[in-house]
Amino acid sequence: MIQFENVGFRYGNGPDVLQGLNFEIPEGEFTFITGSSGAGKSSLLRLLYLDSLPTAGRISLFERDLATLTRDEVAWFRRRIGVVFQDFRLLDHLTAAENVALPLRVSGAREAEYRDNVAEMLHWVGLGEQMNVHPPQLSGGEKQRVAIARAVVASPDIILADEPTGSVDPEMAERIMQLLMEMNRLGKTVVLATHDIDMVSRTGKSRLNLKAGTLTASGDAA
Amino acid sequence: MKRNSLIPVRAGSGLLVTLIVAAMAFLACFAMAGALGATKLAGAWTDGLSGAATVRIGAEETAPEEHLDIVLDILKSTDGVIDAEPLTEEEVAALLEPWFGATPELSDLPAPVIVAVTIDPLNEPDTAIVQARLDGAAAGAVYDDHGEWRGRAASAARAVRSVAIGAMLVCAIAIAAVVVLSVHSGLSAQHANIATLRLAGAEDRFVSGLYQVRYFWLGLCGGLLGCGLALAAMYGFNAMSTVSRALPALQPPSYWWVMFAGIIVFVIMLCMVSAGLTVSGKLRRGA
Ligand SMILES: Nc1ncnc2c1ncn2[C@@H]1O[C@H](COP(=O)(O)OP(=O)(O)OP(=O)(O)O)[C@@H](O)[C@H]1O
Ligand SMILES: [Mg+2]
Repeated sequence: MIQFENVGFRYGNGPDVLQGLNFEIPEGEFTFITGSSGAGKSSLLRLLYLDSLPTAGRISLFERDLATLTRDEVAWFRRRIGVVFQDFRLLDHLTAAENVALPLRVSGAREAEYRDNVAEMLHWVGLGEQMNVHPPQLSGGEKQRVAIARAVVASPDIILADEPTGSVDPEMAERIMQLLMEMNRLGKTVVLATHDIDMVSRTGKSRLNLKAGTLTASGDAA
Repeated sequence: MKRNSLIPVRAGSGLLVTLIVAAMAFLACFAMAGALGATKLAGAWTDGLSGAATVRIGAEETAPEEHLDIVLDILKSTDGVIDAEPLTEEEVAALLEPWFGATPELSDLPAPVIVAVTIDPLNEPDTAIVQARLDGAAAGAVYDDHGEWRGRAASAARAVRSVAIGAMLVCAIAIAAVVVLSVHSGLSAQHANIATLRLAGAEDRFVSGLYQVRYFWLGLCGGLLGCGLALAAMYGFNAMSTVSRALPALQPPSYWWVMFAGIIVFVIMLCMVSAGLTVSGKLRRGA
C-alpha cells in the first residue's frame, strides 16, 4: 500500500531532510513514526499526503508512483487520506463543524448527507457544545480534536496523524488512541508520528524510527 | 449547521469590483444605445428616400419635351417603377427657389425637366440598367435614386456602430481586467486557506467554482446597478422633450429591456469566466 524506495527529500536547496528511506507499510497496518524533534517525521508525512514529491527515489501509494499523478488524481488520492496536521490547519472563518465537514464538502457531498455524521464526530471528541465556535476561540487541545474529527470523518483509507495527542490531557490522548485503533480495526491504514515512546510500547504496534532523516530501526516496538 | 463560504469574504474588495463592473455596464449600455440609434437613424433617413427617384433631363438638350415622352415610356416599362410623373413648372420653381429666389419668369431660364419616379422599395430597379436604357434612347436624361447619398448615410451609421462596438469591447476588457486583478489578489491573500482545501482533496475546478459563484454575484449586482442606472438615465433623457424631438430615433423601444438583460447576462458570464480561468491558471502554476 505505502512503499518507499530510496526516498530522499530536501526543502528547496536546503540540506537533505530525509535520505535513503526504504520501507513498506502494508494495507491495514498501524505504524508509528518516532524520532527526536527535527528528525524528519513531519516531512515524511508531508510526502505521504502528497504535499511534496520526493527529491530522490520513488514513493508508491495505492499501487501508483506518486510522481506520475495528475493534479486531479492528487486531489482524489487526498480524499482517501485523512490527515491530522501538527499545526492543525483549521480554517479560522469556519465553525468547528464546518471545519470537520470540509473533506466531505470539497468532494461534493451535500450538507443533508453529512450533517449527522459531523455532529456525531464532534460529540465523540467531546466538542458537542462547541460545534459553532470558530477555531480562534478554541484551546489548543480543542483545535487538535477538531483536526482529528476532520481527518476521520470521511472514512479515508489511510489516516496520517502528526502528534495527534500532543496538545491534549492523558485521558483525551487515550480516547484519541482508542479512536485511531478502532479505525485501524475497521481496516484503515494508520501512520502516526510521535515523540511518545511510552505510547508506542503500550500499543505494541510496529514503528519506524527516524534519526536525522534516516531510518535507524524498523519493526516491532522494543 | 451554519454554512459559510469556504473562501472568506474580504470586506470591501467585492464592493470595489461591483462598482467598476457597474460603471462599465453603464457605459456599455450607452454604447449599445448609440449603435442601435445610429443604425435606426440611418435607416430612417434612407427609408424616406428609398421609395423615390428622379430623372433629370438636361436643360441644354435641344428638345427636352420630346425626350420626356421617351423617358416616361422607358420608366413606365421598367420593372419596379410604380409611377413616373414630370414635375410642373411651379414644382420645379419651388425646388429652385432656395438657390435662385422666386423667379416668376422661369421659362426664361434654361430649366431642366424633372421627372418624379415612384419606385417599389422592395423591388428597386437597378440604377445602372435604368441609366443604360435611358442612354440607349439618347434621351440625355440622368437617373438619380439617391444611391450615393444613401450609401453615405449608411457608411456614417456603420462608422458610429463600429465606434460603439469598440467602446463595448473596451468595457468588456476593463471588466475582465478588474476581475482578473481582484481574483489574483484574493488568491494571494487566501493562499493558506486554498492550500488547506487542496489538502482536503479539493480539485482545481472546485476551487475555481467557489470563485465563480462569488463573481457571479458581483457580476449580477454590478450589471443590475450599471444597466439599471443607464436605463433610468435614458428614460430621463427621453422625458426631456428637446432630446426626444430632436432625435426620435434614440427613443427607447420596448426591446431595450431585452438588450439590457443581454448586457447583464454577458457581464455575469464575463465575470465568471475571467474568475474561473484566473483561478485555474494560477492553481496550475502552483499558487
Ligand atoms: N518548510 C520547511 N522549509 C525548510 N525546512 C524545513 C521545513 N519544515 C521542516 N524543515 C526542516 O526539516 C527538518 C525536519 O523537520 P520536520 O518538521 O520533518 O521534523 P519533525 O521530526 O517533525 O520534528 P518535530 O518533532 O519537532 O515536529 C528540520 O531540520 C527542519 O528545520
Ligand atoms: Mg513534526
